[in-house]
Amino acid sequence: MFTPPPPPSPPRRALLRGALGLGSAAALAACGRGSTTARTSGAVTLSLWTHDQGYQDFFTRGIPDANRLTDFTYKLTATRAGAPDLVTKLLAQAVAERGVPDMTGFEINAFPRMLRGDIAERLLYDLTDDVAAVPGLKEDLLPARTAPYSKDGKLYALDSDTPLVVHYYRKDLFARYGLPPATDTWQEFARVGERAHRRHGVALNVVVTGPDVSQVVQSFQMLLNQRGGALFDQDQQLVLDSPEAVEVLEFICGGLRAGFITDISDYFGGPMQAALQQNKVIGVLMATWYKVYGLAANVPDQQGKWRMAAPPRFSGGGHATSTTGGTGFGVTRDKANTKAAADFLLSTWLTHEGQIRRFRETGYLPTRASVYKDPALLRTEDKFFGGQRPFDVYTELLDDVPPIYMSPDQSILNDVLSGCLLSAYRGDLSPRAAIRKAADDFRDQAGR
Amino acid sequence: MTSTLTTGDTSAAGATAGPAAAKQRRSTLHPYLFIAPFYLLYVLFMLVPIGVALWLSLCEWVGLGTPHWVGLRNYSHLLTDSSFHRALGNTGIYVLVSVLVIVPAALFIAQAINSRGLRARDLWRTAYFVPMVVSPIIVALIFGLIFDRQFGLFNSLLRALFGTGSVDWLGDPTMSKVAISLVMVWRWTGYLTIFFLAGLQNVPRELYEAAALDGASRFRTFRAVTLPALKPVTAFVVVTSFICAAQVFEEPYLLTNGGPAEATLSVAMFIFRAAFERQQFGYAAAAGVVLFVVVFTLSQLFNRLLGIGRIK
Repeated sequence: MFTPPPPPSPPRRALLRGALGLGSAAALAACGRGSTTARTSGAVTLSLWTHDQGYQDFFTRGIPDANRLTDFTYKLTATRAGAPDLVTKLLAQAVAERGVPDMTGFEINAFPRMLRGDIAERLLYDLTDDVAAVPGLKEDLLPARTAPYSKDGKLYALDSDTPLVVHYYRKDLFARYGLPPATDTWQEFARVGERAHRRHGVALNVVVTGPDVSQVVQSFQMLLNQRGGALFDQDQQLVLDSPEAVEVLEFICGGLRAGFITDISDYFGGPMQAALQQNKVIGVLMATWYKVYGLAANVPDQQGKWRMAAPPRFSGGGHATSTTGGTGFGVTRDKANTKAAADFLLSTWLTHEGQIRRFRETGYLPTRASVYKDPALLRTEDKFFGGQRPFDVYTELLDDVPPIYMSPDQSILNDVLSGCLLSAYRGDLSPRAAIRKAADDFRDQAGR
Repeated sequence: MTSTLTTGDTSAAGATAGPAAAKQRRSTLHPYLFIAPFYLLYVLFMLVPIGVALWLSLCEWVGLGTPHWVGLRNYSHLLTDSSFHRALGNTGIYVLVSVLVIVPAALFIAQAINSRGLRARDLWRTAYFVPMVVSPIIVALIFGLIFDRQFGLFNSLLRALFGTGSVDWLGDPTMSKVAISLVMVWRWTGYLTIFFLAGLQNVPRELYEAAALDGASRFRTFRAVTLPALKPVTAFVVVTSFICAAQVFEEPYLLTNGGPAEATLSVAMFIFRAAFERQQFGYAAAAGVVLFVVVFTLSQLFNRLLGIGRIK
């Protein structure tokens, strides 16, 4: 019988080499993608990427709720970066197949990048079924805030806010100048504003003409959506070239010429602060979050002097208001923590208590219609608005908020439309020509 | 016998030459081993990315998934893209400002700082150099305030001096280019001044003395002595400032974001926008390749024209 000779014992150098190789392999495996076997319960550490400390704090404080409502015991590690950088980093990590977070907060202007090609489908977990699984939740969520983060009927992120557009105004100065605090229509607003500017040199609204193209478009889009127009439809097709868009642009150009609308380089910086402090701007049409990030941040000493009102309506039709801004939180698909992250998001972000807590902690409005009926919220008084009850205004507007649809080509439209808007503001192009040119330029550039 | 002897000699020589040859081979390999890390990194971080960019320029890629081969479609789109043409035109303006304004200004300042009897020379030199080391973010913040139409320093100054001043520095298509150019001049001139100053300090003093003895005027001395002596430095400064200006990104990105209506969009910004705002990586790569070809060709042309690196 043949007995194979025993293998020669490996020399010391070979042993060392082998150990080194095994060690490297183990190290690489540890750095790698990790197990994708879905966790269904137990302790998990979720990684969260966000651009805002406020969200990080909210989710951290929400851990006890999530532990109580789900089968998981959560820990959270958060990474903060600029809103556009988050998408860039997320895609880079996805290409590298490692280091992808479990949850990411997409600022609304950054999210269209996720809609390009099949990025959203490949990277983000479809939350539609999870929302549908909670009785009554789907119907309760405001469609205006699910539309921006949906594609082909799939919901990829849950919004942080219902940023209703309201008109902020200086109550003291409005009273001193004999201006009515609220007007029914924009046409009436224009008449009042023109008189106010002529007599007192003040403006009742601003439009942005600075380098941030999304803010330039934002000034226009708030009114466009309220008028019933839109930039894109549900199928991501451009619908800008419309009579509503021309009407809105004519209104803004008229306001700039009459002086009751003034141009400003951006909504948040030094020039806006100067304009507010010098009482040159005594009214601003902006989203609900602007109280915190614009007014209270720039002119905290004017606390108590400001009020908010429902914006005037267009006599030709449209909606009670529109929305602008927001941040949608999405869950990365096909990860071990995907289910845990989706459960965490729903149990902190979408519960009645969670939405109230979010409003209390961050100032962002609920995205569920039923929460607006909560007596505690209805009773809320705002010191900055001299004790005004803001939910009186919000509930008045809530039933008539148009949805906003996004397109992967949003950035292209922002670039071309902002240039055309500025040309119209300066009088270089008529409003009709500016809208048409923006649409033509967009078609020329989109899809390259 | 002879053959045996010969064979024996050869093998003996071979026996002694073997280790020597191996040693020599090793010693000839040493220099290559020493420089290998650089070339390895060069290949890994320079040639490979360039190759990938070239390949990517022939594909369509959104940043995730598999790129789709589209051949020369990206390049043909660039040919008809008015945005890209505008970016090329704007970049051309930045290059002209750099070569025709900044370089002469730097030479002028260097000449002034180099003059005899100047007090606090180091202070001047530092003052001119400081803009280059200030963070571009700070520069953008400060100049954003300075250029603001309603509340900016420039317009306030114009109003105080001339009673009128509502120049839309960052919002008007023409004035925004002027604003970007002013910031470029402010930022880069001092940096280039240092090169010229170094060159001026190396011009032999005897040449100036000879020119003075010949009764040459200051201008004549500058033309006949300073400029020829500074030719190598000037050539270097012109080429490097051309390359920098052709790839300008920070100033337009931070001050105007390429606007209004792409009036200040540079090619580098166009590439960034296509890749990181629009997820058109193939298109961005194609624009990058075009920029590389243009910059490389023109800088080679400059090299030849200015005789950089040629020994006379």
